[in-house]
Amino acid sequence: MKEVFIGRENLLKLIGRWAKNQRVYVPVTFDIMNNPETPDYELVKEEVPDKLELHGACPAQSPKTFLFYAREVVAKYPSSDPEASVEAPATIVVGPRACDLDGLEKFDKVYWSTKHFTEEYDDPFYIEKRQNTVLVSVDCTASKETCFCTMMGGKPYVDDGFDLNISPLKSGYILTSGSDKGEKLLEGSDDLFTPVDSNHKDERSRSRASVTAAVERQNAQYAVDVAHDKHELGSNEAAWAHVTQNCVGCGACNRICPSCTCFLLVDQRAEGGYERTRNWDTCLSIGYARTGGGGNSRPNLPQRLENRIRCKLEYSRDRYGAVSCTGCGRCIDVCMGRIDMREAIKHVVTEMAKA
Amino acid sequence: MKNIYRPIESVIEDIKQESPNITTYRFRPKEPLTFAAGQFVELTAPGVGEAPFTPSSNPNVTETMEITIMDVGTVTHALTKMKVGDTVGIRGPYGNGYNMADFDGKEILIMGGGVGLAPLRSLILALFDDIDRYKKVSIRYGARTPEDVIFKDLLPEWEKMKNTEVLLTIDEPAPNWSGKVGVVTVLLDDLPLLTTVDVEGLPFSAETAVACVCGPPIMLKFVNIALLEKGFKPENIYHSMERNMSCGLGKCGHCMMGELYICKDGPVMTAAQVASFEDPF
Ligand SMILES: Cc1cc2nc3c(=O)[nH]c(=O)nc-3n(C[C@H](O)[C@H](O)[C@H](O)COP(=O)(O)OP(=O)(O)OC[C@H]3O[C@@H](n4cnc5c(N)ncnc54)[C@H](O)[C@@H]3O)c2cc1C
Ligand code: SF4
Ligand code: SF4
Ligand code: SF4
Ligand code: FES
Repeated sequence: MKEVFIGRENLLKLIGRWAKNQRVYVPVTFDIMNNPETPDYELVKEEVPDKLELHGACPAQSPKTFLFYAREVVAKYPSSDPEASVEAPATIVVGPRACDLDGLEKFDKVYWSTKHFTEEYDDPFYIEKRQNTVLVSVDCTASKETCFCTMMGGKPYVDDGFDLNISPLKSGYILTSGSDKGEKLLEGSDDLFTPVDSNHKDERSRSRASVTAAVERQNAQYAVDVAHDKHELGSNEAAWAHVTQNCVGCGACNRICPSCTCFLLVDQRAEGGYERTRNWDTCLSIGYARTGGGGNSRPNLPQRLENRIRCKLEYSRDRYGAVSCTGCGRCIDVCMGRIDMREAIKHVVTEMAKA
Repeated sequence: MKNIYRPIESVIEDIKQESPNITTYRFRPKEPLTFAAGQFVELTAPGVGEAPFTPSSNPNVTETMEITIMDVGTVTHALTKMKVGDTVGIRGPYGNGYNMADFDGKEILIMGGGVGLAPLRSLILALFDDIDRYKKVSIRYGARTPEDVIFKDLLPEWEKMKNTEVLLTIDEPAPNWSGKVGVVTVLLDDLPLLTTVDVEGLPFSAETAVACVCGPPIMLKFVNIALLEKGFKPENIYHSMERNMSCGLGKCGHCMMGELYICKDGPVMTAAQVASFEDPF
C-alpha cells in the first residue's frame, strides 16, 4: 500500500497522464439553467476538465454505466464462431463511492459467476470490461439528503477492496493504493506527490466520521435496520398500494440503480444478417413479466414496485447472500413521484407489524 | 470467452400441423445440441426475437430436435411463416429437467393441457425407451375441442405401449367424441388409488406415485389442488412453470419468482418448492 498527498493542480496533471494511455472518465459539475447539478461523468479528452468535482456525495450515475452498457450488441448471427467479440478498452473511472462498489458485488455475482459460484454461465461482455476497468474510488465528503448507506450496512468511504482511493481534503487529496493495479497508476509520478502527514490523516478521519454521523442522523427517523434485521416485507396488498400511490411505472429507479442487473434481449436486422442487443430493462414495466398469450404474474403496478423493493432487500439476500440496495439514494433522486425507498420500507414494515 | 448469447444455426427439416394453431417443427442444428427431458431451449426467429420452448422430441435422439409450438404472439407467429429449408437459431439447453432416476419403480401420472402435452412428449418418449423401469405410465390429456388435440396420430400408438394408458377429455361435448368431457381435472375424478375400493386398472399408490404436469397456469393450479387432495406428496408433483424469459441463463431477471429463477431452478418445479408462494402459477 502506498499513500501520498497531492494538490488539485497536480491531480489534474496526474489524471492527464493516465488519459494518454487509456480512457478516463471523471465526475464533472454541469450547470443546467444556473442550477449546479449532481456531478456526472465526462470522458477526459485533450485536457482534464477544471470542473472536475470530487467533493460531495456520489455522482449521478453509477459505474454500472461503464461495465454493463445501457444497450450493447451481444451477438451477430448467423455465426459459427463460439467466441464472443467484446470491445473492452482499458478504462479508468474516477469517482465511484463506497456504495457504488457495493452495487457491483451484485453484478459480479450475476455476471461473473465462476468467481463467486459454481457451474454458472459467465458473461464475457461484463467480465472483460470489469477486468479492463480500474475503479478509482472517492470518499464522500458530504451526503445528499437521500443518502442512506449506513442504514444498509454500508459506510460513506471505502476501506478495502479498492484499486486506488481518493480522500478529498480542503487543501488537496490523499491517494491510497489498494492493489497492484492502483499502485501502477502512481508509478512514475513522484514529482506530483508530497508525503501524507498526520494533519492530513486527522482531517480525513474527522471528515469520514462527520459524514457517517450525518447520514446516520438524517435516517434516524426511519429506524428500521433493514440490512441486519431479517425483514420479510411480505405481500401486504394495502401497504404496497399505499406506497405505489405516486408511482407512474417509468422504471427510472431501476435504470439508475447501481445494483439493478436486469436486461432484455432484442433482435433486429443488421448488415450481413441479424444482431442481438442487450438492453437495460426494468421490472416496473408491465411487459416485464408478461408471458405469451397475455398472462402476467405481476399485472398491477403495486405488485411490480413490491417486486423491486423486495428484490433489493429479500430476494438478493436469499439468492446471493447479500441485500443489494446500497442506500445510494439515486432512485429517490430520479423519481418524479418522489417515492422514497426508506419511507416505503418503513411503511410496509410498520403495517406488517400491525397485521 | 464463449458467447452465451449466440444462437446455433438450425435448419427446419419438417413442419407438421398438429391443430389449427399448433405446429411441430423438426430442426437439425449445425452444431451438437442435446437436452434432458424437461429442459428448454431459446429458439430464435431471425431478426424477430427469441422465445423459450421445451423440445417435444425424444432426448435420446440427438441429431435433430422437434419443438411443438402454439401461435400466440410475435415470435411464434413469425415461425408460422417459415418453410422447410429455412434457418432458425437455437441456444441451450437450459434449466433443470426431470429427475428421472427418481421415477424408477413408480407409477407415473402425466397430466397435459392444450399445448402443454408438447413438452411432456419428450418425457413420455424418454420413459418409453426404458418402460420396464416404471410400474405404470398414465397419460391424461385435455384439449378444448377434438380439433385442438395434438399428436392425434401418436396417441393410439402410445396406448399400445406396455404398462401405459391414455385418457382424453375435451372441454365441451362434440359429435363423435368417445373420450370424457370437462376440464382436465375430470381425468382425476376416478384416478384408481390403492386406497380406493373397486379399483379398475393398475392402481396408484399416492404415497410414492409421481405426477408430471404441464399446461396453462389455471390448470396447474387446479391439478395441484386435486393431486394434493388425493394424497400425492408435494415433492412428487412436478410442474412445468411458465414465466417470461429473455436469457434462459439466470441473468436477465425476467423469470424471477421471489428468490427463484425459473430458468435455472426450474422450469420443472415440485409442488413442495413452490408451496410457500401465495399464487405460484
Ligand atoms: C420453459 C418454457 C417452455 C415452453 N414450452 C413451450 C412449448 O413447448 N410450446 C409452446 O407453444 N410454448 C411453450 N412455451 C411458451 C412460449 O415460450 C410462449 O408462448 C412464447 O414465448 C410466446 O412468444 P411470442 O413472441 O410468440 O409471444 P408474445 O406474446 O408476442 O411475446 C411474449 C413475450 O415476449 C415479449 N415480447 C414480444 N415481442 C417483443 C418485442 N418486440 N420486444 C420485446 N419483447 C417482446 C412480450 O413482452 C412477452 O413478454 C414455453 C415457455 C416456457 C417458459
Ligand atoms: S422512478 Fe418512481 S415513478 Fe418511476 S417507476 Fe420508479 S418508483 Fe415509479
Ligand atoms: S429491482 Fe427489478 S430491475 Fe432491479 S434487479 Fe431486481 S428485478 Fe431487476
Ligand atoms: S434501490 Fe435506490 S438506494 Fe438502493 S441501491 Fe438502488 S438506486 Fe440506490
Ligand atoms: S430467463 Fe433470464 S434470468 Fe431466467
